[in-house]
Amino acid sequence: MTHRHTPVLVADGLTKRYGRVTAVADLSFTVRSGAVTGFFGPNGAGKTTALKMLVGLARPTAGRAFVNGTPVDSMIPDARVVGVYIEPCGAHPGRSGRAHLRTLATLAGLPRARVDEVLTIVGLDEAAGRRVGTYSMGMRQRLGLAAALLGDPQILVLDEPVNGLDPRGIAWLRTLLREQAALGRTVLLSSHVLSEAARTVDDVVVVDQGRVVHQGPLSDLEDRGESLELAYLNLTGGN
Amino acid sequence: MALLRGELGKTLGTRTFYAFLFGGAGFSLLNAVLVAEASGTLRVASQKAEALTTLPVLLMVWGLVGAAGEHRHRTAAPAALVAGRGRATVLLARLAAYAVTGFGLGAVMIGAALALGLPLLRDQPGPDLDVAQIRTVVLANLAACVLSAIMGAAIGALIRNQIVGVVVLLVFNFAVLPLISGAREGLANLTPFGASSILSGMTHDTTLSITAAGAVFAAWTTIVAGGALTSERRRDLA
Repeated sequence: MTHRHTPVLVADGLTKRYGRVTAVADLSFTVRSGAVTGFFGPNGAGKTTALKMLVGLARPTAGRAFVNGTPVDSMIPDARVVGVYIEPCGAHPGRSGRAHLRTLATLAGLPRARVDEVLTIVGLDEAAGRRVGTYSMGMRQRLGLAAALLGDPQILVLDEPVNGLDPRGIAWLRTLLREQAALGRTVLLSSHVLSEAARTVDDVVVVDQGRVVHQGPLSDLEDRGESLELAYLNLTGGN
Repeated sequence: MALLRGELGKTLGTRTFYAFLFGGAGFSLLNAVLVAEASGTLRVASQKAEALTTLPVLLMVWGLVGAAGEHRHRTAAPAALVAGRGRATVLLARLAAYAVTGFGLGAVMIGAALALGLPLLRDQPGPDLDVAQIRTVVLANLAACVLSAIMGAAIGALIRNQIVGVVVLLVFNFAVLPLISGAREGLANLTPFGASSILSGMTHDTTLSITAAGAVFAAWTTIVAGGALTSERRRDLA
């Protein structure tokens, strides 16, 4: 299984400044295929900004991001390569979930049948005809995940995908992500729900104040007798 | 074409489109009645043609609200992530979609104006508008509507905020334009609002022909759209 050590996503010295505020500072880490990588950090640590730079939504002030060895700034986004979910779900509240996904499928050149497939995968088929404005937070979350899965991508980048999901939804998502990793695909997710993440991820990247403070396999932490939560609290200065 | 279809689906899939559709048609009907019935005697063709005009600034607001709404509702980022094309190409498709909807909305507005305005104008003295004059009014108004929708969408893509965008339009229309007009006669005709007013027939000005006004408005639209496309490549998407 050579793919297990191939870096698919690379952040190389990513820095993002908004005026005087540095949201991300010289952030470097890699994400391998065939694994679920957890991206953790306190509120305001720069996780979402870093994920946006990794997928090309935000331009780094310095540094570069690579997807499959290609610099993101010269890459054309493709739903078949990278599926992204970054809050909020990016659907107009006046349109139905199905209409939203159909538009994305049209833009991506994907068949309409794929929309019904992903609606079934995320468990939204019954609510697909309703306006997104009437959805609960968990349903919007599922819709965002459906959009990310639309192109059946090789790489999934998910920002706080567990937020708002009920226990059944969380279990479903865990299974889905583990299946993706088992297929040799790449999953990078951020989360604050460490107890759940500990059951899902293989690798761990922890950021604090815009910098990487730890990267490595979850098993390394476990071998040291530390839980993910305890390690996180130690690394980020919490107690 | 897939990008255009996708962007069209977004513009037509909200209630906002229908609000502008019915609002625009309502304005055209009201304008036809007010000009043909309540503005005194209309003797010459240009006065009569005013009863058949549309409201291009409404189409500008339509484009602005829609394109800026992509950022308000965060729908721009998912589209850019799946489109398989560069961001500027996606925005170009969006501008094309607004051009198509501008044409459609303009056609409904001018159709409503013709349906009500022409019978009412027959009561006015002097010769009726002939076919060539009506054709000129229709084509000029359609051009004004299409260009206005594109320009509005381009401004929306640049400003990315619906309220700020509409305020900018209002300030320009009601504060800056009169100042320009007061500074030098005829200068306001060279602004987007002035040119679109002449193009649609709302303003009669002998210093600028309809064709010249169309060219001025098209040039402004190209400049603003070019600015939006250039900036789209450089800016972050939320």
